Amino acid sequence: MTMAVTAGRTAINPRAAVLAYLAVSGIVYLLMMLLGLTMRLAQAQWIDVPPNFFYVVMTMHGAGMVGIAGLSSAAVMWHFVRRYIPVSTAVFLTNLVFFLIGAVLILGAGFIGGFGAAWTFLFPLPAHSGGLWSVNAAASYLVGLIFIGVGFLLLHLDIARGILSTYGGLGAALGVKQAFGLAPAEKGPPPAVTASTMALIANILGILVGAAVLVISLVNLYVPTFTFNALAAKNLIYYFGHTFINVTIYMAVIAVYEILPVYTHRKWKTNWAFYLAWVLSTVFVLTVYTHHLLMDFAMPTWTLVAGQVISWLSGLPVLLVTAFGTLTVVYRSGLRWNPAAALVFLGVAGWAIGVIPAIADGTIAVNSVMHNTQWVPGHFHTYLLLGMVAMVLGFMTYLTNPQPRYGFAWLGYWLYLVGGVIFVIAFLLAGAASVPRRYAVHVAQWLPYDRIGSIGATVAIAGVLILVARFFVGIRTAASAQDPT
Amino acid sequence: MSTRRLLVATCGSWLVLWLPAVRGGLERDMALHMAVQMPLLIALGALVAAATCRFEPRWLAAADWLGIAGIAAVVLGTSFWMVPRALDQAIADWRIDLVKFLTLPLLVGMPLGLSWRRMPPLGRAFIWANFIPKLGAVGGLYLGAPMRLCAYYRLDQQELAGWTLIAVAVALGITWFVAAFIGWTPSCGKRPSRPSVDGAGRQRALHASAA
Amino acid sequence: MMTRGFPVLLALVLATGIAALAFETDGFRVVTSAGARQLSVERTPQILPDAHLVDQDGTPFTLGAYSGRTVLVDFIYTRCPTICGVLGNDFAGVLRSTPARRSGAGAPIDLLSISFDPADGQDALRLYGERFGAKAPRWRIAAAADARIRADLLRSFGVVVIPDGMGGFIHNDAVYVIDARGRLARILDPDTPAQLAASALKVAAAP
Repeated sequence: MTMAVTAGRTAINPRAAVLAYLAVSGIVYLLMMLLGLTMRLAQAQWIDVPPNFFYVVMTMHGAGMVGIAGLSSAAVMWHFVRRYIPVSTAVFLTNLVFFLIGAVLILGAGFIGGFGAAWTFLFPLPAHSGGLWSVNAAASYLVGLIFIGVGFLLLHLDIARGILSTYGGLGAALGVKQAFGLAPAEKGPPPAVTASTMALIANILGILVGAAVLVISLVNLYVPTFTFNALAAKNLIYYFGHTFINVTIYMAVIAVYEILPVYTHRKWKTNWAFYLAWVLSTVFVLTVYTHHLLMDFAMPTWTLVAGQVISWLSGLPVLLVTAFGTLTVVYRSGLRWNPAAALVFLGVAGWAIGVIPAIADGTIAVNSVMHNTQWVPGHFHTYLLLGMVAMVLGFMTYLTNPQPRYGFAWLGYWLYLVGGVIFVIAFLLAGAASVPRRYAVHVAQWLPYDRIGSIGATVAIAGVLILVARFFVGIRTAASAQDPT
Repeated sequence: MSTRRLLVATCGSWLVLWLPAVRGGLERDMALHMAVQMPLLIALGALVAAATCRFEPRWLAAADWLGIAGIAAVVLGTSFWMVPRALDQAIADWRIDLVKFLTLPLLVGMPLGLSWRRMPPLGRAFIWANFIPKLGAVGGLYLGAPMRLCAYYRLDQQELAGWTLIAVAVALGITWFVAAFIGWTPSCGKRPSRPSVDGAGRQRALHASAA
Repeated sequence: MMTRGFPVLLALVLATGIAALAFETDGFRVVTSAGARQLSVERTPQILPDAHLVDQDGTPFTLGAYSGRTVLVDFIYTRCPTICGVLGNDFAGVLRSTPARRSGAGAPIDLLSISFDPADGQDALRLYGERFGAKAPRWRIAAAADARIRADLLRSFGVVVIPDGMGGFIHNDAVYVIDARGRLARILDPDTPAQLAASALKVAAAP
């Protein structure tokens, strides 16, 4: 008797569960994008936002986007990995419920309690509000994160269980033998399984570390005499935070591996290099977080050097095999482009381009002048908005089978693409001009960047609105349909 | 080893731990108290449970559905004996120490031995995933505490205990991860049959593993 | 199979466990024995033994002799290199900040430092007192008359003394308040002299 079997008895339609994830994702993405737009408009001085509230909005936008990035890319992962391993729909839905509870607590902390310590809740900032928010508001935020973490923990553990029961060990599911030429690549695990294994390894370890620092932060809130080394806390928080947001791209990329072959009628070929790339990226994603601490002079030098070297290498292996694989699977395949294929293809491109500013910022000499500028939001918006989100939107479009309404979806696609590009370029240019990040009030010289960025963001949101709207139009039929093949 | 021998050995070990010299020696230091004596007491109970699980009354096995009640006892029991005040009381008063010597094997160790087998893999993993960070966080708090938490332990002992708990948490985390990575499972008893959820998923899984 | 016994057993386990935890932490308010004692004394002041002591001038006296006055008590040993010095300075501060003598009524707050170190003879007590300007009877530096009394005294105040591994001791650094009826009424965390004096005066003013 296992929980999994009990879950099976309730007979929830797994496809409907995935669509529920995506419905929540679509709405939350739009709301969080509007929060982001609010900040850009405020910086552009086109609307008036009190600085205190700006930081509430910034915190909510950050926490909300990181959370929904995790949730939506987990939907991609779960949908495809189900094809190869037994997983529990009940656990999958439990994660959604925990997420929603956590989201309510976090939104309450921000919009009712005024919590604005940034989503990274750096110790001991939550306990030092300067009167802007109460201890209970900070606790509500931290408990909200714990709820979300517990949900994801359960989901990843369940996938781990499924992988262990099918492949015996995580190493085998990652394709370690294939990576080192010890077993033929043709007998290696499917890409979705390899990617899921990497994601669950990174996220489970990250969540364990995050849980520890969250508990410590909570105790510190209520018993302030219990303190903790702030630099150690920052290490733990970024170990968790960096890993969690970074892994979203590795979950979402499964959409590329599974969707492009459908439209090109070619199999996604895996070879030893593919598995080696995933093995290396697994190691890197777990060790790269120190590039968030390049400005902390108290860190041991070797960790910073490692942070620089690893962040140059970190994303590259999987990115290279994925970009190369994408090109080979598309090249001369006779693919007739449709919005779903175009979105996942764009996702790979956005990811590849977004890595370039990351490599610049991962360099200590550059970091010390660039890290607190808008260069960094420029980098992560490139690879998240135009990479990870594009893959998720592609997946949403793919599931809701868009044939009858291609024209409408194409409009959404182009608005999203053009607006998104303008939006991230405004960030990057502002960063290159040393416009600081996280400033509620901007001086006159910075306004042009903010205004161009605001326009780009508005156009991009219009595009996403169209794509999400037509997802909702197709959702009813999609629940009972089959995946396009 | 026969059941009887094992029982004799366990009771003997219990008595050895209760010897004033051993008891005092292990309780003189916070790290030894928390990371050696208490786990040993729990292990004794778990051993007894493993040796005598055949005699477990059927109603108990049935009521302990999926091992949930038993593991709840383990979580609550270990939490109780992690309260600094409880440590102080156990040192100050031998009668309270006797309560500790009885409750840890009987109300924590035995439920652990009996219920762990019943708990499905996801439940076990979840318990591990909760236990490891909790241990690390408690260790971290011991390090950061500005005052002595126990009247009977020095600040340096408290710090050592903090580092010990963190080290144990990290070691458990690594062991757990490595075991999952290479696919190692403890070989005692029968492994639970492979769970299946969605018929289609299962078929594809079998297909994939056959291919 | 889930049986009807399951909710019963689970409820039993949870109720017992949570009740035990609540009991141990005084309703989830304290985790340390010091905190628990602080809370319990605050709720019900505790009767103290009428212990025989000897002060820095060699004068014998008893705790009961303080009847009708409020006393701040700390526990020290005269070789103490760390916390006792801080406590001594704090007490000196209290001494300065509270009026020496009201007409007829005696000092509003008396001070008493009790050494728990059997090695502390009268000379050691006197020297310690001179370091901080303590003069009996306003501020007595005292030791128990014999070992049994010392043990009783430490137990009734809840003071735990352990060796620090370097020839000295580690001990509670709290400040104890004895009310006019001779009861242990408050256990204060180390604080500024002004705060200590204020807390003591509050006890003195209480009915």
